Amino acid sequence: MLTNMRVIAHERLGDDVNIRRLVLEGEAAAEAQPGQFLHIRAADALDPLLRRPLSIAAIDRSQRRLTVLYRIKGRGTQVLAAVPVGGMLDVLGPLGRGFQVPSTGELILAAGGIGVFPLLALAAAAAERQVKTTLFWGGEDRAFFDNAGLRLWRDLGTPLSLATMDGSLGRKGLVTELLGLWWQERTAAKEPVFMAACGPAGMLKAVSLWAQTKAVSLEVSLEERMACGLGACLGCACQGRDSEGRLKNLKVCTDGPVFKAEEVEWDAG
Amino acid sequence: MPVDLRVSLAGIDFRNPVLTASGTYGFGKEYAPYCPLAELGGIVVKGITPEPRAGNPVPRLAETPAGMLNAIGLENPGLEAFIAHELPRLKALPTAVIANISGFSVEDYRFMARSLQRDSGLAALEVNISCPNVKQGGMAFGTDPAAAEAVIAAVRAETDLPVIAKLSPNVTDIVLLAKAVQRGGADAISLINTLLGMSVDIENQRPALANTFGGLSGPAIRPLAVRMVWQVAQAVELPLIGMGGITVWQDAVEFLLAGASMVSVGTANFMNPQAPLDIRRGIEAYCERKGIAAVSELTGRALRGKG
Ligand SMILES: Cc1cc2nc3c(=O)[nH]c(=O)nc-3n(C[C@H](O)[C@H](O)[C@H](O)COP(=O)(O)OP(=O)(O)OC[C@H]3O[C@@H](n4cnc5c(N)ncnc54)[C@H](O)[C@@H]3O)c2cc1C
Ligand SMILES: Cc1cc2nc3c(=O)[nH]c(=O)nc-3n(C[C@H](O)[C@H](O)[C@H](O)COP(=O)(O)O)c2cc1C
Repeated sequence: MLTNMRVIAHERLGDDVNIRRLVLEGEAAAEAQPGQFLHIRAADALDPLLRRPLSIAAIDRSQRRLTVLYRIKGRGTQVLAAVPVGGMLDVLGPLGRGFQVPSTGELILAAGGIGVFPLLALAAAAAERQVKTTLFWGGEDRAFFDNAGLRLWRDLGTPLSLATMDGSLGRKGLVTELLGLWWQERTAAKEPVFMAACGPAGMLKAVSLWAQTKAVSLEVSLEERMACGLGACLGCACQGRDSEGRLKNLKVCTDGPVFKAEEVEWDAG
Repeated sequence: MPVDLRVSLAGIDFRNPVLTASGTYGFGKEYAPYCPLAELGGIVVKGITPEPRAGNPVPRLAETPAGMLNAIGLENPGLEAFIAHELPRLKALPTAVIANISGFSVEDYRFMARSLQRDSGLAALEVNISCPNVKQGGMAFGTDPAAAEAVIAAVRAETDLPVIAKLSPNVTDIVLLAKAVQRGGADAISLINTLLGMSVDIENQRPALANTFGGLSGPAIRPLAVRMVWQVAQAVELPLIGMGGITVWQDAVEFLLAGASMVSVGTANFMNPQAPLDIRRGIEAYCERKGIAAVSELTGRALRGKG
């Protein structure tokens, strides 16, 4: 839907001035699903011209609120960051295909950097269904986690397994290494495992290959530059395979942003 | 008295003068939840080619000040799939549907025109001549008057549908091209397509688009488009469909006054999926305010008294 949403909160998420939390109130909250995104006009202006896609990080239907967590990257997010509490934002969405929320088994989340943001909404939905959820999260250093919402995960009570590049928190290394260790220590598999991942393309590919060898069902959330967000402009193409294994283009905006890992062709680019 | 918004162009009766531009509106269905298609003058669907095309690698888009570059690479399902899967639904839409055809040889255009006739349910064919003529060293048909004329003549000879020639702005003298497509037998001219542009990502020190070059569209190109409409309106007899950066109704009125009979809304759909609707309403209110009974009276009004 195309609506105006009121800015209820807009602040730093942690100490990093560049990572923000934006809470919006409006009708769009009623339909939102974890993994979907909002296509936001940062300003009613010709520059920045296009909308900016940002994932839904939290859904509060009773209060009609959606939370978006974002990193200020360039002009669009800079202009967005200046929108004050009480202001209105022109929002198209929720858009796209979200995550499947499991109602049985165990949910494993794998995040690289700020790719963790959309997984927060999924974890909350899984918690409502009492599905056991664990987050495997890789980031630069200790400070990053505090700035990127570690507190929100603690509030949710999700068990965490963290990795940093410099070893300042959790294990030194990559998320895929955490996953490997966890799998080894896992006692006799009984529950089906559902996995969801979001992060840089390289990490998603690695997690995808890993999940394939373990026969674990995995969904990944992808990013690509997009204009319309509705499947019309064909800007946000990624490569996939159809049911017969032939290469085909997928649209991140409407076929995704969440895909089954086996739909995505990682090496075609 | 209500304003008469109807426009008759190339023998087609349009409900109002607002179309959507090819490649920005998919096959219509993408926008249907946001913009009642029956309220539009018509839609021009994504450019099709004889064979399916996967398009260019990503990034395909880059934003620029008040504009954007695109290098989609004409991703489309191909003529056969278009006819089998899109046309039946398009035909049933409560608005005029114009197909947009692109090719890499005169034969490509001829082949597509042959398969798209009046009985297809389409209102017209828009011929995108901004594509490279692969058999003639890759120069775009739309930059060479003789090639442009040949393509339009080939299409004209094969279809009983009205033919709209869509001009490329990447030329020194747009009037030469307009005259060429008129000679080729076009029933109308649409202009402008995107301007060839480029941008460099200064962080990774590479071209921003995987394809290096892309087509510039959006508000940034509007003054150039208005100038070209103005020039062409005075040089040919054919009715014009003006486009290039139309974002709000004021922009549309500018094109009509400069000589266009209809307008097409492109990039603006990306910011506002209801832009064509807002623009149609704005044109209507403008006519009311100015005491103009029919929107067709706006066409070329700014030319009055010009020699
Ligand atoms: C489905 C989806 C969900 C996203 N969710 C989040 C989120 O929850 N939090 C967050 O911080 N970021 C998210 N992003 C990335 C975010 O959209 C970009 O960081 C943002 O658009 C950058 O805009 P800018 O003007 O600040 O930067 P610029 O680099 O100046 O942007 C220039 C252009 O490139 C596009 N662009 C730049 N980076 C990206 C990117 N990574 N992905 C897509 N388009 C890009 C912009 O939209 C704009 O059109 C998401 C992207 C997608 C596709
Ligand atoms: C993403 C995109 C795809 C386009 N694809 C086509 C196409 O397939 N065929 C065509 O004739 N023009 C195509 N165009 C050009 C538009 O129809 C229009 O001529 C141009 O964008 C200028 O109008 P605007 O500034 O309102 O967008 C495309 C433009 C964009 C932005």
